[in-house]
Amino acid sequence: MSGSQSSLREANRARVVEAVKRHGGLTQVELTGATGLSAATVSTIVKELLGAGMVEVRPAVRSGRRAQLVTLAHRVGLVAGVVVGYRQMRVAIADVTHEVLAEQTLPLPAEHRPDTSLDRAALLVVDLLERVGADLEELVAIGLGLPTPVDASTGLLSVRGVLRGWDGVPVAQVLEKRLARPVFVDNDANLGALAESTVGAARAYHDSLYVRVSHGVGAGVVLGGRVHRGVGGTAGELGHVQVDPGGRICGCGSRGCLDTVVGVPALLEPLATSHGNLTLRDLVQLAETGDPGCREIVADAGATVGAVVANLATVLSPQCVVVGGELAETGEIFLGPVREAVRRRTLLSQFVPLEVVSATLGTQAELMGAILLALQSTDVFENADDGRGNQ
Amino acid sequence: MTPGRTPLLALRQISKNFGAVEALVGVDLDVHAHEVVALVGDNGAGKSTLAKVIAGVLQPDSGLIEMDGAPVTLPSASAANRLGVASVFQDLALCENLDVTANVFLGREMYNRAGLLQEGQMETETRALLRDLTVRVPSIRTPLRHLSGGQRQAVAIARTVIGNPRIVVLDEPTAALSVAHTAEVLTHIERLRGMGLGVILISHNLNDVRAVADRVEVLRHGRNNGSFRGDASHEEILAAITGAGSPSL
Repeated sequence: MSGSQSSLREANRARVVEAVKRHGGLTQVELTGATGLSAATVSTIVKELLGAGMVEVRPAVRSGRRAQLVTLAHRVGLVAGVVVGYRQMRVAIADVTHEVLAEQTLPLPAEHRPDTSLDRAALLVVDLLERVGADLEELVAIGLGLPTPVDASTGLLSVRGVLRGWDGVPVAQVLEKRLARPVFVDNDANLGALAESTVGAARAYHDSLYVRVSHGVGAGVVLGGRVHRGVGGTAGELGHVQVDPGGRICGCGSRGCLDTVVGVPALLEPLATSHGNLTLRDLVQLAETGDPGCREIVADAGATVGAVVANLATVLSPQCVVVGGELAETGEIFLGPVREAVRRRTLLSQFVPLEVVSATLGTQAELMGAILLALQSTDVFENADDGRGNQ
Repeated sequence: MTPGRTPLLALRQISKNFGAVEALVGVDLDVHAHEVVALVGDNGAGKSTLAKVIAGVLQPDSGLIEMDGAPVTLPSASAANRLGVASVFQDLALCENLDVTANVFLGREMYNRAGLLQEGQMETETRALLRDLTVRVPSIRTPLRHLSGGQRQAVAIARTVIGNPRIVVLDEPTAALSVAHTAEVLTHIERLRGMGLGVILISHNLNDVRAVADRVEVLRHGRNNGSFRGDASHEEILAAITGAGSPSL
């Protein structure tokens, strides 16, 4: 009897914490509504959680009345992660323990403009801070991910033509000017690699590869526990490895890049006559629900990407390959052919077979990477401090 | 999703006059399941009139409306509702003094056999519905007047899903919303599409439209003035809206 009661209390606590997490911050009255628990139960649980240091209570105003806003504890300051993709932007606010307090996805138009998108990114950061009951003062830094190589020292895109319209835009400075907070920029695959090697599937390994298969293909190379960025941040640009010498011209100017074969337009084109207008998300969903045509497309993409990954792995000899991005959401449909292609390179299975696993953080990897980048960069900044501005 | 399949809703040569004003002149529109069709155009281009025809609020002077390939008439909003068309207009038509649950179930309340309201059941369903749509409303017992513009829009969208509609018409859902709330509404639209519904999105904001639409239909002076894929360029669509191409008379 007592056992079931304590497990009930445990479940109720979990419900309250989950509600606070989902909404960022709630008053106790709102918590009763959000969880369906009684006011007395919520009050008791909030007291317990306060005592355990899991939540914080700060004054707020709701409907013109003073109220106590319950948020997850974030004592030492907050960081923001922003990941801009081809068709969506994701923004998250997290505390120093990497706990995501608030998150929002914004769908973006094809070939979105840097001025509009960066403006919206800045406004989203401010809106999300408001949602968790914090203000801009508490924000320590912002990590920004872009789907193109970025020179970390200048914050400029290092390859022209990959993200159309963004060439020459001082991305970090634009956001810094808007938010008056240091902004650190990196390529999204590098951020995914940072996240997976720090808190994800590759955290037990020194050397690993992170392969991100989304609108295009990118990779992050982790050597000796550090992300290897290369000249101008262009290391790991798997999408621009040539796979078809007679193929189409890529946005970068070369012929037959991997992106021209397994980039989203190339994946969806063969489905246009049979399936009509699909998005990447539709393709992933249909493949998961067993649509044979979509499974075929995803599996073939896996084989093509796998062959390139196998070559890269032969050169670098990592302990583990982590596969992320939307296509990896299909699980073994995509991962199977990648693993098969890797297995066929005998060198990779000679000593210890190279592991090919899916990203533990899933499609959150890049966002978590942006958060980690902001946290790690500011640590360095604070230690070396004293009057020196950020990069 | 599959071209060549019968559209969920097809409008053929719809015309509507208000006295000397030609609001709609021979307009065609197809909406398939699992598709977001955006209607764009200048002020007075006929977007809202067309939306009201689809919602059954206005009757066209001439033209044919087909659902699943069969001709139908939409003499009233409730008739349209029964055929699976749900609409959210700019005024949202929500009750300020009622809470979120009551608004979601407004006019479609659930009763038990004794004729009493099943409040618990309705709350549970509302909570599940809001979670499916990833709607962020602090408490479903909050009266509507205490919610922000974005939250109200979310409640209005959630309300449309209650009657298991097949087509949802959204008139300017992102007008006057903050970026975070716009992001939420656009995400809800993607969810509706993912649920297999046909969505008609009317908006002035080309950025929002191009973010979620599969197809963009331009109206100009009550006439069709171009149909574009959702990834068409801003400039192309703008040219059709402003008539920078060739004016059609």
